[in-house]
Amino acid sequence: MAMQLVYGFIFGFLSSVGFGIITNNPRRTLVPAGIVGALAWIVYILVESINHGLIMPNLLGAVVIGLLGNLCAILVRAPVNIFYVPCLVSLVPGAILYDSMKNFTLGKDALAAYGFVKALTVGMSLAIGFIIAETIANKIYPRLKRYLLEKESK
Amino acid sequence: METITATEIVTLCGQVGTILLENGAETARVENTVEYVGRAANLPVVCHATMTGIFVSSEKDAATRIFKVRVGDFNLQKVDDINTLSRQFYRHEISFKKLKKEVQSVDHESRDFSWLVKCIGAGLVSMPPMLLFKATWGDLFIAFFVGIIGYLISQFVAHHNKTPYIPVALGSLAISFIANVLGDVSIAHDANYIIISALMPLVPGVPMTNSLREIIERNTISGLVRATDAIMSGISIGSGVIVGQILMQTIWGG
Repeated sequence: MAMQLVYGFIFGFLSSVGFGIITNNPRRTLVPAGIVGALAWIVYILVESINHGLIMPNLLGAVVIGLLGNLCAILVRAPVNIFYVPCLVSLVPGAILYDSMKNFTLGKDALAAYGFVKALTVGMSLAIGFIIAETIANKIYPRLKRYLLEKESK
Repeated sequence: METITATEIVTLCGQVGTILLENGAETARVENTVEYVGRAANLPVVCHATMTGIFVSSEKDAATRIFKVRVGDFNLQKVDDINTLSRQFYRHEISFKKLKKEVQSVDHESRDFSWLVKCIGAGLVSMPPMLLFKATWGDLFIAFFVGIIGYLISQFVAHHNKTPYIPVALGSLAISFIANVLGDVSIAHDANYIIISALMPLVPGVPMTNSLREIIERNTISGLVRATDAIMSGISIGSGVIVGQILMQTIWGG
C-alpha cells in the first residue's frame, strides 16, 4: 500500500504537469497544479481501497481538487480553471469514454451503453465534487483573501 | 484624454470574451470577465456567452455586437494573460488603449512551450497513474513514446487540416497501429493497455467533465455543446483505433 501511494504520488504529479504543458499552462502554475493533482490521486487510491464503487473515489478526489485548486488560485493569482484542467486528467473518464465508443464502433451496443453510463457516472461525480468544494470554498476563502490583501497593503 | 466610443468598448469586450472562450475558459467565467471589463470602462455591458457565439450589448445605448467563436484546444496561458490584463485594467493600472493593444497581442501570439517540452509533456500524460499496477512497467515505458507519436501526429494533422475530429482520429489510428504491431512482435506485453495509456493526451475526458459542470451550473446549452463535442471526438478516437487494428491485421497478416 505504501509503495502504491508513493508511486501514485509521483505519477499523479507527472501526469498533471504533463497535461499542464500540453494545455500551455502559465509556468508559475505548473508545480502547484502537479501537487494538487498528485494529492487528489492519493485520495482516490485511499478511498478506493475502502469503497470499491465508482462514485465515492471520484467525488472525493474532485472535492480535494476543488478545495486546493481554489486555494492555489488565490495564492498564485490565476483563474481556477487553470488548476482544474491539469489536475483532473488522472481522474477523468477519458479511457472509459474511449472504450465505450470503441464498442459502439464495433456494433456492441449493450457494452457501449454500459460504458457510456459509467463515463457519465464518473463525470457526474467529479462535477458534483467540484460543486461541493466550491460551495465550501466560497464560504471560507474570501476571508483568507481579505487577510492576504491586508497583509500585502501593510 | 480622448473619448472612447461605446462601440469600441463593446468590441473590445467581445474580443476579450472570444479569446477566453476559444482557449478553454468556462462560459460563466467569460460572462463575468466581460462584464467586469465593461464596468471598469464605465460602460455597463450585458454579455451572453454560449459555446458558439458571444453577444455583448451596452446597457446605456444600442451598441451590440455578436462574435462567432470556434472552440479550439486548451491554451491556458492566454486565459491567464487576459485575466491579468482585465484585473490591471479594473485597478486602472493600464489605460483603455494599452488594454486594447495588449489584448490584440495576446490574441496573436503568446508564450508557448517548445515542441520538445510539449512532447515530454504528452509522454508523461501517457503514463496514467490509473494503470500503474495493471500494466507492466515495460508497457508504460513504451506507452510514453507511443503517446508522443500519437500526440505529434494529431498536432501535425490539426496544423494542416481544418476538418474537426480528423486529427484525433488519425492520431489514435497511428497509436493503435503501432501498439498492435509492438504487441504482435511481443515487444509489448498487452497492446490494449498501451493503446489506452497512449491515448490519454487525446481523449476528451476533461471536456466531458467540464460539460457536466456547465450543465450543473445551468449553462445548459454550452454544456450540451461541449458534451456532444466530447462524444464526437470519443467516437472518432474509437473508430481510429479500430481502423488501425484492421489496417495492421491486413498489412501484417496477424
